[in-house]
Amino acid sequence: MGSTDIYSIQRRVRRTYELARLRRALMGILPVILVTGVAAFVATRPTAPLVFGLVTAFAGAMMLWHGKDPQKAFLPGVIAGLVPLGLALGAGALHTCGAGSCSYVCVPACVLGGVVAGFAVAGVSLQRRAGVWFWVSASGLALLTGAMGCACMGSAGVIGMGLGFGAGIVPGLLRRVFGKETR
Amino acid sequence: MNVRLDSELDALMARLADGDRGAFTRVFELLWEPIQTLCRNLLKNEADAADAGQDAMHKILERASDFDRTRPAMPWALAIAGWECRTLARRRERRREEDEASMPSQAGPHAEEVFLQRDLTAAAMAALGELSDVDREVLVATFWDEAASVSGPTLRKRRERALDRLRKTFRSLYGLD
Repeated sequence: MGSTDIYSIQRRVRRTYELARLRRALMGILPVILVTGVAAFVATRPTAPLVFGLVTAFAGAMMLWHGKDPQKAFLPGVIAGLVPLGLALGAGALHTCGAGSCSYVCVPACVLGGVVAGFAVAGVSLQRRAGVWFWVSASGLALLTGAMGCACMGSAGVIGMGLGFGAGIVPGLLRRVFGKETR
Repeated sequence: MNVRLDSELDALMARLADGDRGAFTRVFELLWEPIQTLCRNLLKNEADAADAGQDAMHKILERASDFDRTRPAMPWALAIAGWECRTLARRRERRREEDEASMPSQAGPHAEEVFLQRDLTAAAMAALGELSDVDREVLVATFWDEAASVSGPTLRKRRERALDRLRKTFRSLYGLD
């Protein structure tokens, strides 16, 4: 068999490998789709959870397909993001009052959820001695997952969660940098 | 394959399972030859071995992401290749059996005669369909040795004419002029 034949076989086999990874990735994001469905059902305005859920699912699929650090960051990212999502949806479900009253309770819930998610992502990253891409991927996915809940109160909820997340992750980041310097 | 290459393959398969595409080409190179050799030995046929080998490579790399890094890669890959060879051999065997079952006359010593006769009968029926009702009746009656509506010299003349027409029709239908 000629080298050209082997090269074309190799290309076909490579395509099979990529397709298999894509299939696995699409199976892997099923929990995200389920969470999106629940969030859209619970939220008073389902558009925001649906949009952020779609973006989360797409980003998650890309991470799982790509592999390496982003793939490993998928589960910690989604689980960390469930905290602000759950808190935001819970706070929203408790109130039937006007928009002002809801945002008053829900924004703090999002900030608190963001702090917890930030701590969680930093903790897992430090524990695994993960690389930069793990931190970036897990943080991105946690923020997107949390935004499904926090966005229904407008941009204030998402910004609050982002600030909380930043606050939560800073100690871990400093520890990482400090740890590197001492080594 | 030596121990060094085996451990290299294990490490590369683990990287590939993690999504490190940089390991792909070397994994392919390390697997290609042993799998082709195994398939050639099992199937004793160059073309079948090539087919089974390629199928095996597809299956192995399709499952690369599920590779269990606690186990050695080469036996795992060869097991998949062996299974592919067995599947292909079984498929070929089944197809051969089906072919034989669908054309039993082909296996017999008079297969060609039977085919010719079948073609000839079909052609005769087509030619007969071109004749008039009277001619057809006369010829059928002759064939079955039945009494037609007429007898004696009239029947003989009609039979000759019908046969003549049938011959002409047959020739013109099948280009034997």
